[in-house]
Amino acid sequence: MRGFSHRFLVFCALLGLSGRTLPAQPETSKEKEVKAAFLFNFAQFVEWPGAAFSDAHAPLIIGLLGDDPFGGTLDATVQGETVNGRPLLVQRYRRVEEIKTCHILFISDSEKARLPRIFATLKGRPILTAGDSEGFARSGGMIRFITEKRVRFRINREAAAAAGLTISSKMLRAAEILRPEGA
Amino acid sequence: MSLQDMPIRRKLIVIVLFTTVTTVLLMRALSLAYEFAVFRKTTLQHLATVGHVVAANSTGALAFSNPNDGSEILSALRTEPHIVAAALYDEHGALFARYPAGTPDSLFPIRPKQPGYHYDRLSLIAFEPVAEGDRSLGTLYIRLETGDIMRQWIQSSIGIALVVIALAVIVAYLISHALQKQISVPILALAETARAISDRRDYSVRASKRGEDELGLLTDAFNHMLAQIQTFNQTLEHRVEARTAELEVANKELEAFSYSVSHDLRAPLRAVDGFSQAVLEDYGSKLPAEGHRYLQIIRDGAQRMGVLIDDLLTFSRLSRMDLVRQKVQNRALVDEALRELNSQSDGREIDWRIAELPPCEGDPALLKQVWVNLLSNALKYTRKREAVRIEIGSRRENNQDVFFVRDNGTGFDMQYADKLFGVFQRLHRAEEFEGTGVGLAIVQRIVHRHGGRIWAKAAVDRGAEFSFTLGEETNHA
Repeated sequence: MRGFSHRFLVFCALLGLSGRTLPAQPETSKEKEVKAAFLFNFAQFVEWPGAAFSDAHAPLIIGLLGDDPFGGTLDATVQGETVNGRPLLVQRYRRVEEIKTCHILFISDSEKARLPRIFATLKGRPILTAGDSEGFARSGGMIRFITEKRVRFRINREAAAAAGLTISSKMLRAAEILRPEGA
Repeated sequence: MSLQDMPIRRKLIVIVLFTTVTTVLLMRALSLAYEFAVFRKTTLQHLATVGHVVAANSTGALAFSNPNDGSEILSALRTEPHIVAAALYDEHGALFARYPAGTPDSLFPIRPKQPGYHYDRLSLIAFEPVAEGDRSLGTLYIRLETGDIMRQWIQSSIGIALVVIALAVIVAYLISHALQKQISVPILALAETARAISDRRDYSVRASKRGEDELGLLTDAFNHMLAQIQTFNQTLEHRVEARTAELEVANKELEAFSYSVSHDLRAPLRAVDGFSQAVLEDYGSKLPAEGHRYLQIIRDGAQRMGVLIDDLLTFSRLSRMDLVRQKVQNRALVDEALRELNSQSDGREIDWRIAELPPCEGDPALLKQVWVNLLSNALKYTRKREAVRIEIGSRRENNQDVFFVRDNGTGFDMQYADKLFGVFQRLHRAEEFEGTGVGLAIVQRIVHRHGGRIWAKAAVDRGAEFSFTLGEETNHA
C-alpha cells in the first residue's frame, strides 16, 4: 500500500510536470501504468530457475527492447521496490544482442517485425517475454497484453515452460491461456 | 410448607434436590460460558483460515486487475452459509470484487479498515490483507453472521440443560430417597420412642441403635437418660412411699394426741368453770367485789379456753373426716351463715351486698363453716367502722369460680399475709379483737380438702378481701 502510494504520487507528479509538454492521453497513461504494474507484478508470480540470478541479492532486471512506450512510468513503478529481497532494475536495449542478464523483457511494438529472430536468440534463456504486438504470443512470446475495456494478458505456457519459468497458478487464473495449436 | 416444618425425610430430599439442581445449573452455566468463548474463538480461527486461503488465492486477481476472477474466488465462500458478505478491495482501497454478486455497494464498508478480525455484536468482521510476497495488493473483507448459529446453539444448550437437569433430579431423587433413610430412620425412631414415652410415661422403653455415628451417640445418650429417669423415678417413688407412710403415722399419732389432749382438757376446764360459778352462786354474798371480779376473770378464761379447745377439735377432726360431696347452693349457705351470726350483727348498721353465687360441689356442712368463719371475720374487723360494707360475690378466673368476701374493716399489713392461715396466728391483739386464731386455719383446711385455694388481699385500714376456689376447674354453663 505504502509502496503504491509512493509510486502513485510520483506518477501524479510526473503527469503534472509533463502535463503541458505531452499531449493529454489519460487512457494511454492509465494503460501504461497498468502494464508497468503488471510487469512489476509478474516478478511476484513467476519463479525463475536458480541459475537466473548470480546470488541471493542479485537484482531482478526488467528489460525494455526497442522503443520505450512507458516513458518514465515503469521506472517510477519499480522505484525502490524489491521482490523476495531483490532490488528491481530497469534496463533498456536497442538490440537483442545487448541482453545479458534479464528476467522480464518487454518487447516493444517497434520490434514487431524482428520478433521471430528475437525469440530465436532468447530461446532457452530464463527470460519472461512480454509484449503487446499482434500475434506476440502465437509467435513464441510468453505474455501478450490485450487492451479492451481493461488490460488483460494472454499466456503462452509452453513458451514459459520451455524457458524454465514457472508461472503461479494464481497468475494463470487471472490470465487467458493461449490454447496450444492444434488443440 | 416452609422447609422448617417439613418432615425430615422430605427435608433431606429437598436439600439434595436443591443442591443437585443448583450444581447442575451452575455447571451448565459455566460450560455454556466456556463453550461460548470457545465457539467465538474457533469461529474466528475458522474464518481466519478461510480468510488466509481466499486472500492467498486472490493475489492474482488483484495483481492483474481481474475482478471476474476475484468474484469467482469469492463465490467459493458459498460453501460457508454463515458468511453473508465478502469483498476484495484493491490497493487503492476501492471495491474490486464482491460476494454475493450484485450486492449493492452500500452493504460493504466504503474503505477497508485495519487488518484484523473482530466481533461486532453477532457479526464477525474480517479484514485480511492480500499480499504476494512482500507486495501488498489489497484487502479481503468477510462478514460472518453468528446469530443463527448462536440461536441454534442456545436452543440445543437449553434442551440439553433441561434433559440434564431432569435426569439429575430423577437420579438425585432416587439416590436421596434411598440414602435419606440412613439419617431419617434413626431420627424418626428416636422421635417415635420419645413420643411413646411422653404419651405412656413408660420409661422402660429404649430406642434401637443403628450405627456408631452421631445419631448412634444420640440414641445412646437418649437411652442413658431414660435409664436415669427410670432409676430416679423408682427411687423417688420408693422415697415418697416411705415418707408418706412415715408422715401418715406421725400425723395420726399427732392427731390422736391432740384430740385426746383437747378432749381430756375439757373435763378439768368444765370443773374450773363450773366450780367458779358455784362459788359465785353459793358464796357470792360473802365475797367482796374484788373476789367477784377475779372469779369472773377465771370463768372468762375457762370459757375462752373451752372455745379454743372446741376449735382445735374441729380443726383436727377436719383432716380425718370424709367429705360428703354433693351439689351445694352457696347462696343458701351464706344465708344460713348470716342467720348463725345474727348475734354479732344485731343492732349494727351494715351495708350487705350479696351477689348471686354459682352452685358448687362440696361438703355443705364444711362449706357453711367456711362462710361462717369468713363472714364472722368480716363482722369482727369492721366493728370499729362507721359505715360498714360487706360484699359477698364470685368471679370467673382461669375457668374457675372464685368466691370472695370483701369488707372495709381494719385490714392488715400484706407482709404478714403468709401468717394469716396458720393455727394460732393472729395479726391483732386479743384485747383488740377476740378470737382463738384458728378460724382461718380451719377455712384453709376445708378449702384445701376440696382441692381449692385461698388467699387474701388487704391493706391497713383499707379493708380486706378473702378469695377462695373449690376444686380444680368448675364448669357451669
